[in-house]
Amino acid sequence: MKTQARLIILYRIILGIIFLVLLIVLFTLQIIKGERYKEIAERNYVRIRRINAARGVIYDEKLNPIAVNNPSINLYFRPFLIKDKEKMADFVANNLPVEKKTVEKLIHDNRFRSFNEILIYENIDYNKMVTISENLNYYPELFFKVETMRSYTLPNHFSGYVGRINEKEYNKLKKEEYSINSVIGKTGIEKYYERILAGKPGYEVIQVDAYGRNLNIFKDNLNKKPENGLHLVLNINLDLQRYIGTIYPREYAGAIVVMNPKTGGILAYSSFPEYEQNWFASRITTEQWISLRDNPQKPMLDRVINGTYPPGSTFKAVTGSFGLEKKLINQETLLASCVGGLQIGNRFFKCWFHGGHGRTNILSALKVSCDVFFYDLSKFFKLDEFKDFVQANYLIDRTGVDIPYERKGFFPDTKWYAKRLGKYFSLQGRKANLSIGQGEVLMTPLQLCAYYAAIANDGIWKKPHLLKKAIGHKSLSYEEIEGPVDKKLPVSPQNLKIIQEGLWQVCNAPGGTGGGARVPGVKVYGKTGSAENAHGGQTHAWFACYATWDEPELAVVVFMENAGHGGSMSAPIAGKIISYYNLNVRNK
Amino acid sequence: MKFNFDRNFDWYLFTVWMALVVFGIIAIFTASASKIGEEMVLKNHYWKQIIWFVLSLGLFIFIMKVPLPVIDMFIWPLYGLTLILLIIVLFMPPVNNSRSWLMLGGFRFQPSELAKIVMILLISKLISKEHISEYKMLTKAISGTILPVFLILLEPDFGTTLVFWGSLVLMLAQAGFPLSYIVVLISPITGIIFSLNWMLFVFVCFLLILYYYREHFNWVLISFSIIFNTFIFLLTPVFWNSLKEYQQNRIITFFNPMHDPLGAGYQVIQAKIAIGSGQLFGKGFLQGSQKNMNFLPEHHTDFIFSVVGEEFGFMGASLLLVLFFLFFNRIIYLIRVVSKREYKIAISGIFGYLLLQTFINIGMNLGVLPTTGIPLPFISYGGSNLLINSFAIAMILKYSVYKVV
Repeated sequence: MKTQARLIILYRIILGIIFLVLLIVLFTLQIIKGERYKEIAERNYVRIRRINAARGVIYDEKLNPIAVNNPSINLYFRPFLIKDKEKMADFVANNLPVEKKTVEKLIHDNRFRSFNEILIYENIDYNKMVTISENLNYYPELFFKVETMRSYTLPNHFSGYVGRINEKEYNKLKKEEYSINSVIGKTGIEKYYERILAGKPGYEVIQVDAYGRNLNIFKDNLNKKPENGLHLVLNINLDLQRYIGTIYPREYAGAIVVMNPKTGGILAYSSFPEYEQNWFASRITTEQWISLRDNPQKPMLDRVINGTYPPGSTFKAVTGSFGLEKKLINQETLLASCVGGLQIGNRFFKCWFHGGHGRTNILSALKVSCDVFFYDLSKFFKLDEFKDFVQANYLIDRTGVDIPYERKGFFPDTKWYAKRLGKYFSLQGRKANLSIGQGEVLMTPLQLCAYYAAIANDGIWKKPHLLKKAIGHKSLSYEEIEGPVDKKLPVSPQNLKIIQEGLWQVCNAPGGTGGGARVPGVKVYGKTGSAENAHGGQTHAWFACYATWDEPELAVVVFMENAGHGGSMSAPIAGKIISYYNLNVRNK
Repeated sequence: MKFNFDRNFDWYLFTVWMALVVFGIIAIFTASASKIGEEMVLKNHYWKQIIWFVLSLGLFIFIMKVPLPVIDMFIWPLYGLTLILLIIVLFMPPVNNSRSWLMLGGFRFQPSELAKIVMILLISKLISKEHISEYKMLTKAISGTILPVFLILLEPDFGTTLVFWGSLVLMLAQAGFPLSYIVVLISPITGIIFSLNWMLFVFVCFLLILYYYREHFNWVLISFSIIFNTFIFLLTPVFWNSLKEYQQNRIITFFNPMHDPLGAGYQVIQAKIAIGSGQLFGKGFLQGSQKNMNFLPEHHTDFIFSVVGEEFGFMGASLLLVLFFLFFNRIIYLIRVVSKREYKIAISGIFGYLLLQTFINIGMNLGVLPTTGIPLPFISYGGSNLLINSFAIAMILKYSVYKVV
């Protein structure tokens, strides 16, 4: 019982000490330091001010800028300082091209973000700022900040653009040091490498009163310096990129990709028509938006990775190598004679050349792009095996290029047909069609380019990518950021040699369809394609090729929507690109 | 002996408890209002709290009516249910990085709240037998606690587990477990805390030896305890260095919120300003500027004491402290006068967790203790919290009917 009494006394002592301590701390806070805390609360001295990190610049391989930060004067307000909502909204609407309603809505939406800085308008010109400044002492809630605005040196589809963070993104990212005024990559490189470009903001805990006296409420030094974003150096060559823009016939929509087969680096990346992404980086007007939305050529569509098309005859390299790998043919095998087409079942499949090519082997079939050779070949293989082969050549899955929202290619299999056509159907006609890259098969220009680059690189497939390295307070190569990029095509070296020989003949042998891409002093290998498509009218004009000097250095895909024949339309453009590279990029 | 319910019912504790709950509802009302100029936005937290209060009263009356043996029968099934709920809650979507809320439609419930009271009832039953050896007492107490504590650590919720251990220590002490043994068990914590400074550690060891000597420990036990403490002391830096940087940061921020002034530290800065600026009489009902400007996040839950301090000033806040003091003092009185050993132990456990929660919560509002997600009993908004605490009070009042005075 004695211990019990001791325990009760112990409880009382503990209770007494706890409440005494709490009471003393409370007394100190409220009575002794109360006056000072009251002052702090009234004027709110203790404020945490963000210092934004500078966003990294995007350069091409020669360090020419692609996306830069320009200074911009921005007008902000602080909700808790507003005295008269009406008056302030009027003042802003009278001086800047915004509607009074918009300003009032902004005030209303942010009424609980009392001490945040809310952006009203950005990129105000200097004279306007001076006139507004003269009246600012009537509106203590308004203030200017000199910040930066992203601007792009040329219209393109790869860099993407930045914009103000929206409510949804903010709710997802506020834990990661984004504020409601943050700028964030919305598409393209800007989005893909957001984390590298953005850096980390710093902050400053201000505890100084209006007279500059240090209040010293919190003794630790709480400030943190911002960590600027890294700059990106791309593989893009701006001279080549610009040159392609000047030679492309603008009446056609289309896409051009140029990449280095040895590294996978993308030297030029164009989708036509282009659009001005500076419109998005600042504030896009309604007219600008309508002009983009209603343009029938859909300028916002990135045809390099988001457009999927039937590849036409450029696909014959895949079909041919499949035949060789499965030992259905060898270099010498002559298949059915082309008489302008081939009878399969109860249907006559036409060759593009009505005169007929006679009997051909794989080399001459590629050279003259004879459809009948491949129709006949398709009789001997199984559809699903062919699909697996296409997949193993990385023509279905995404390439993994460093731009968000890439689309997949498509290739049908037996199951897919069974689902659509029911139980009884014949695959033979469909296989014939697919063997020449027609029918349901779809791929992006980038997938095709990566494939031709892999042929050039003796079967080593490199993941196409724009980024070369990130530089700044530290340096990172593309491989360090994204990991290894090598894969292999499922084709033996001997068979690859045959395909390469066939592609060489396309451009160089008499009668080849790709003669337009011939460039003196350079060995060009390629394949034309004219893909019929559901949009009717002209065929899509394709040309996929690569060029070697001592080593393969370029793989080029030119795609033109509904422009006609690949040989006459696309091949000459590819030739010009190779020639420009030979004279102006390579020799420098 | 015949017990007269009306005569033995402890109206004192009941009245103080009611006063606290009503105080809480007033505080939640003002905390759910934000008033800027003439515009006032009122969230419905206080209504929900009133509904929970009515439910709690219902539960209270129910418990008072049910005979104690019936409640005893339900302890093991309740313990099982608690464990199941603690496991289910680990699969819930996280709120503020911790999976402690069970969500069913609009209904939210923290199983760890239930775990506290169930654990106390179970352990008081287990260790209250007469002539139980100290070793057995300890193993029983720990084996009853370890599973729920482990599950709660997985959520993770460190604050609640701390409250668990605190409560357990008081129960052991009440059951007659020698205080000096408890010191032996707790002392390794000093090894962790003082691992930064070996001088302090040596000093603490010296104090420990002195204490053991006074308690007539034999030298084997003394040296064992000191060696174990030294071992922990030496191991702590090794363990620390093996942590990842973000894990270290999380722990540093727990002890020093200023390490992260935009996160945990921000709340403490604003809470201190709110309380301090309340001064003697406060800014008045609904007038707290820190609260109205929405400076104080969570001001209707964990930081409600700041709202009280800001709007009712030192007068109001110390009135609340006095109410709490009377409340706990009365519970100590009941521990003394209640007749059965088991009841004494159970009331000590409840006393322990309520006192620890109150101390930790008010301490963090005043900026002297680290920020943990522990609500202020009876005052903070939160249905399951109020319900379980009312359950605990009902148990105390039920036990108190069996007084020996």
